[in-house]
Amino acid sequence: MLIALAQISPVLGEVNKNLRLHVALIEKALKKGAKVIVFPELSLTGYKLRDLAVETALVPGNNGPFRELLRLSRRIAIVVGFVEAADSGLFHNAAAFLAGGRILHIHRKVFLPTFGMFEEARFFAPGRDFKTFDSPLGRTGLMICRDFLHLSSGYLLQTGGAETIVVLSAAPGRGGTEKASASFATSRMWEMMGETLSFFTSAFVVYCNRSGFEDGMAFAGGSFVYNPLGRLAAKAAYAKNDFLLAGIDRREVLRARRLWPWTRDDKPEVALRVLQRAFDRHED
Amino acid sequence: MKIDCAFVERVLCAFIREELGKAGFRRGVLGLSGGLDSAVSAALSAKALGPKNILGLILPYGRSYAADVEDARDVARRLKIRSRVLDIAPMVDAYFRAVPTKARTLRGNKMARERMSILYDFSAREKALIIGTSNKTELLIGYGTIHGDMACALNPLGDLYKTQVRQLAAHLRLPSKILSKKPTAGLWPGQTDEGEIGLSYDELDRILYRLVDLRHSKAEVVSAGFARAKVERIVAQIRKSQFKRCLPPIAKISSRTIGHDFLYPYDWGR
Repeated sequence: MLIALAQISPVLGEVNKNLRLHVALIEKALKKGAKVIVFPELSLTGYKLRDLAVETALVPGNNGPFRELLRLSRRIAIVVGFVEAADSGLFHNAAAFLAGGRILHIHRKVFLPTFGMFEEARFFAPGRDFKTFDSPLGRTGLMICRDFLHLSSGYLLQTGGAETIVVLSAAPGRGGTEKASASFATSRMWEMMGETLSFFTSAFVVYCNRSGFEDGMAFAGGSFVYNPLGRLAAKAAYAKNDFLLAGIDRREVLRARRLWPWTRDDKPEVALRVLQRAFDRHED
Repeated sequence: MKIDCAFVERVLCAFIREELGKAGFRRGVLGLSGGLDSAVSAALSAKALGPKNILGLILPYGRSYAADVEDARDVARRLKIRSRVLDIAPMVDAYFRAVPTKARTLRGNKMARERMSILYDFSAREKALIIGTSNKTELLIGYGTIHGDMACALNPLGDLYKTQVRQLAAHLRLPSKILSKKPTAGLWPGQTDEGEIGLSYDELDRILYRLVDLRHSKAEVVSAGFARAKVERIVAQIRKSQFKRCLPPIAKISSRTIGHDFLYPYDWGR
């Protein structure tokens, strides 16, 4: 099955313009025969929203931009990033998996980077869950950007039986590379985790980052797909728009799990016991 | 501190093209001094937007900088950008006839702001944005005139130390004359940055890189082999010039105040 990764540069705070961009790329993916298209983190709004977070928030359902995306999801599954206005009155940095005219799953970003150049917890409430769900990509788990860099997120999706892990990202590049690697130093960090997680969970890792500039930050691009044996299956350009296609075949997951029984031999009950002990004794 | 020049060039050209484009512009204007920073900024802008879309304004005070004017013209010719020379002496002299001073810094700052005023006028005439030329070294130690040479619409060089700008200049094949020229703010004839700062850019950048990029403490930088007096002076300069890197504070009265809790990105709607 063909999956498309749209490495785009959304317009900051302009949901309707971004919806048009999404629709154009969905049409392109359909023409290429893709069955799934993944967009980056906050693809419908842009990243550095600050006070625009509240103003661009959407209530997921058959309304607003979701109406058009849900209609298109009858022809191709769509993974999209947006600001969720939750019933609770809170706002989340969220991702939705749409397929067959329905919302299959919404993930709310758990780890909100708030240090240095990042200020997400100032504007968003954190999510508190990593759930897997069935999709055209098999048992699937979603993460948003920084979620991916925490070992616990990948482990929790593994215990949920994930066969494909989809990561929506808006990672700004930073740090020089002395060697001519044609990328920012931080791109390596994402690739390291992609390689590691795909191999040790025997799952596909689909990482869709964005491109373009916001307030001087350059988003690093470099979207990728790692296969369940930890090998790079496809790779987009660094720090520019791109459109990546990759083949995903569930049989590769099964083959990898026969070769390397990491998932079979895992012991979540041990993790639970040790975590409970750490939690009980935890003091800040 | 070595940079991947080909990649940095690509990112900075995209930055210039996209930031300008998002704001609805396709032309850039910048001051050309005949020095390294403005030559690099002009070269990147010419690559990003096409040489015909760049105007280099050469703004000498009288005839005391004839060699620099020639170097600036040479850069414009090589880059195939448009250029124009305007002598700022009549405007500056008219002002100082009214309020005379011999203080070199006062006179130099006035000249820097006269150039800024001309750049903004031309940015409107040309429907162009001003592309900045201040590097990270001078921004950090405050070696620039606020609302003068620091003023711009976007700055491609502000995160590159002077020594990194020099690497990029070599990569961009700028004339060796520009590369080997003694850096000067041009506030008065014979002035050199390194003479005035009291440190070579090489040493200054290595200290700044440790303090700023690597977040090392003063003590750590000193124990890495740099003179304590130099390190302390640099730290003091960074602190003293913070006002040049921020918008002025607004007295908070209401429940929502610009700069405090009215928080929108620069690229709002772009």
